[in-house]
Amino acid sequence: MSSVGATDQLATPPVGPAPLVAEAEQGRWWDVWRAISRNKKALVGVLLLLAFVVLAIFPGQIAPEDPTAQIYDPALGPSWHHLLGTTGRGEDVFSQLVWGTRLSLVIALAVGALATVLSVLIGVSAAYLGGIADGILSLITDVILVLPIFPLIIVIAAYRKNSGLFTLIVVLGALGWSYGARQLRSQTLSLRTRDFLESARVRGERKFYVILFEILPTMTSLIVATFLGAALYAVLTAAGLQFIGLGDPNSQSWGTMLYWAQNGEALFAGMPLWAIAPGVCIALLGASFALLNYAFDEISSPALRVRKVERSRIPYRLPPPAGPEPGPGAEQPVLKVEDLTVAYATDDDPVVAVDHVDLELARGEFLAIVGESGCGKSTLLYAIARLLGSPLPGEIVNGRVLFQGKDLVLLEERELRRVRWRDLSVVMQSAMNALNPVLTVAEQMRDACRAHSNMSKREIEDRSREVLRLVSIDPIHLHSYPHQLSGGMRQRAMIAMALLFTPDLVIMDEPTSALDVVAQRSLMVQIKELQERLGFAVIFVTHDMSLVRHFSDRLLVMYAGQIAELSETRELFDRPLHPYSHGLLEAFPSLRGPKVRLLGIPGSPPDLANLPAGCRFAPRCPRVERRCTEGEVPLYSVNGSLVRCVLQEDRR
Amino acid sequence: MRFVLRRLGFFVVTLWAAVTANFLIPRLMPGNPALALMARYRGHINPQSLHAIEIAFGVNKHQSVLSSYFSYLGNVFRGRFGVSLTFFPDPVTKNVLQALPWTLALVGVTTILAFLLGTLIGLLAAWRRGGVLDSILPPLFVITSAFPYFWLAMLAIWLFAIKYHWLPQSGGYDFTTTVGWTWTFFWDAVKHSILPALTILVTSIGGWILTMRNNTITVLTEDYVRMARAKGLGPWRVMWTYAGRNAILPNLTGFAMSLGFVVSGAILVEFVFNYPGVGWMFLQSVEQQDYALMQGLFLMIVVAVLTAILAADAATALLDPRTRDLR
Repeated sequence: MSSVGATDQLATPPVGPAPLVAEAEQGRWWDVWRAISRNKKALVGVLLLLAFVVLAIFPGQIAPEDPTAQIYDPALGPSWHHLLGTTGRGEDVFSQLVWGTRLSLVIALAVGALATVLSVLIGVSAAYLGGIADGILSLITDVILVLPIFPLIIVIAAYRKNSGLFTLIVVLGALGWSYGARQLRSQTLSLRTRDFLESARVRGERKFYVILFEILPTMTSLIVATFLGAALYAVLTAAGLQFIGLGDPNSQSWGTMLYWAQNGEALFAGMPLWAIAPGVCIALLGASFALLNYAFDEISSPALRVRKVERSRIPYRLPPPAGPEPGPGAEQPVLKVEDLTVAYATDDDPVVAVDHVDLELARGEFLAIVGESGCGKSTLLYAIARLLGSPLPGEIVNGRVLFQGKDLVLLEERELRRVRWRDLSVVMQSAMNALNPVLTVAEQMRDACRAHSNMSKREIEDRSREVLRLVSIDPIHLHSYPHQLSGGMRQRAMIAMALLFTPDLVIMDEPTSALDVVAQRSLMVQIKELQERLGFAVIFVTHDMSLVRHFSDRLLVMYAGQIAELSETRELFDRPLHPYSHGLLEAFPSLRGPKVRLLGIPGSPPDLANLPAGCRFAPRCPRVERRCTEGEVPLYSVNGSLVRCVLQEDRR
Repeated sequence: MRFVLRRLGFFVVTLWAAVTANFLIPRLMPGNPALALMARYRGHINPQSLHAIEIAFGVNKHQSVLSSYFSYLGNVFRGRFGVSLTFFPDPVTKNVLQALPWTLALVGVTTILAFLLGTLIGLLAAWRRGGVLDSILPPLFVITSAFPYFWLAMLAIWLFAIKYHWLPQSGGYDFTTTVGWTWTFFWDAVKHSILPALTILVTSIGGWILTMRNNTITVLTEDYVRMARAKGLGPWRVMWTYAGRNAILPNLTGFAMSLGFVVSGAILVEFVFNYPGVGWMFLQSVEQQDYALMQGLFLMIVVAVLTAILAADAATALLDPRTRDLR
């Protein structure tokens, strides 16, 4: 969470993707264990693995028979004395199974460790060194990755029959590191330019130190995954080698049991247990690694888990507030949001991200929504457009969104599709990601047209050219792919796409934030011009108040999921009523005004899961009083503005 | 174009690495098995077969290591792998070409089928998050992906061939039918391939399902998918052209990377079923110490895997315009 500080750092918005590494990944072992015990797959995996570890350490206690003693009648069926019968050579199958655990587990863990160390060494150094070293190491990695390892190991083993356990582990480890190395390399590359590494480099720390203490800890989950993957591969490959007789035929292992089962024609001799029992063990040990690996994937990338909001667990502390005064304009509003509440699920209680918001938008009006990141402005926007879902999780749990007389919240997806784009279109934050990279601009315009009209191919082409001209893009770019356009052009192309049907309402989520300041201004001017010419209403989300100063009619300041202030833009800039609005204004330098010290707001927005009592802004407010923390603060209507601040109580 | 050329270059480099490994491994082993073998055979077999072994190993007492390496490279390049000892005096190439169609038909078709089917199921599972497919399949296939191929093959033989006699338990065809382009033979070959094919399908499909599901879940969080929904496109259009077309790209890379694993499993499946393909013959040659044949088959396997990877690359280039503009 960034705070609005007394610097001009916020005037140029941060550009670039959000951090890839979840904070949970940097957690301690205790957190890892907590996450494992909550995940069923991980729990099963851990228990299976522990069971095998116990078998491997205490085989003598669990299976009292000597696994190599050929002293019983051959080919006995299961009985109390021989739980799984005896082999064709008169050995106890159960004892062989128990004693065989040790070798499989040793191979799995040793190869896993060796391959992981090699993966880390090669993957991380390739990424960190860069240049020719990276080129060579990556090529070697890729070659080993695609070479069929198993036949290669067979070739090696064919020349060196009955080589020992040590050779097997070394060969498996030396050939099994490439997948992990590839992953670790790309992860390291994505970390390389990260701030904390830059600062380590500036501090003059040694490369070795940086890798060991700065890079590796952030990749714990990937390293664990590499180990588990290599262990699984080792279990299966070693079993395969033993099965075809390339291991030591006198060693105690599951693969060797299968070798004897195959040679003793277990299946034809009517003794399928000889083959089934060791196979089940291999599969279970393999499954324990595979399950753990999969669970780790789920734990480190939360997107893979499904969560649903349990409505009963949403903490409603507010009674629905009295409806606000009707907005200016006698016309029927184009959009009316009533009491809209959005919550998203977490591991604990659901968190309310948009808290009982009421809003009206007149035809052709330009409304800007501002606030710090995490204040709920984007969530509100996508709730209105019914586009919540990852990566912006959340569910509408209360309220109405009236658009063209219909409640969008209640519409079926099919009916909703009819409204979308024809009447309500969306322009997203980064056109780099919002345009489908594998389709041309023309194709992406075409499918929108096809979905909502019977336009002919010719008409679609003409209309597409027309809207491109509207945003000053030469129509020769119509058949380009997104990656062939510049950032500014992509953004314009997206706006052009939003205007294909001249909708009543265009929702814009920071559409200029990826552009430089000059391009931002010119795009704003163009948006405003188009809006006035075509008459659509706009909801414009931004964290840069100065950007909308001359373009928006009204300004909605959001704080911690609630409306803090809703006023006419000029009114709010001249006389901000909420101390938060005041602070936001002071955080931005005025271009023409007299030189003033930028004050900003100390601290950062509250954690939505852990809100302060009373006014949510109180902990950061310079004008905080005792009554601020005494109860929820309602919205006060003051001279046509709405303000959530007790200071306005007296002025109503 | 640049992309395809680069991948072709990679193909050549990897092939070269495999050939060199073939040349080096017998020499780097303690006791130099190549020379030991030559010594063992000298005087026991005729000069012709001795020459065959010389070609297979690139061993010639009168040459330096480097020049024998180049003459070995030259022989491999001209398709001269020497003479098989097991099928003496047939050249290795003839044996390899005999086994190849069986493997292509069994492993090739099954792998492509598993990939396509797995990708489709993975896409559907991710599309209906929390649905039946999505809640049952992932944990199930995580477990089956840990099954050894050969073990499942044994179970299949025991259950379907020995216990119930539904399908033949080994071989590529019945020895009583004559080999040729007849319906009887074709049908017989199909019947023999069902069990091994199902074994490979069941064990390999899980991997594709899981990776495609996870790729799709990642892609579904992308802005362009949300944009497609905002545009009011039909669900099929969003699923195929927005989610699917983008999610399959990393899956194609994954295909290239895990093909070696599938092929390894397939070799053992052929072995268990006595299926007359490359894998079975490869393991036979290992058992018979027919090193010339073994080396030739190993290179054949490498070439097959690399060709499949090249095909995956071509598909990537076809589906992803960004790779076509790569400089």
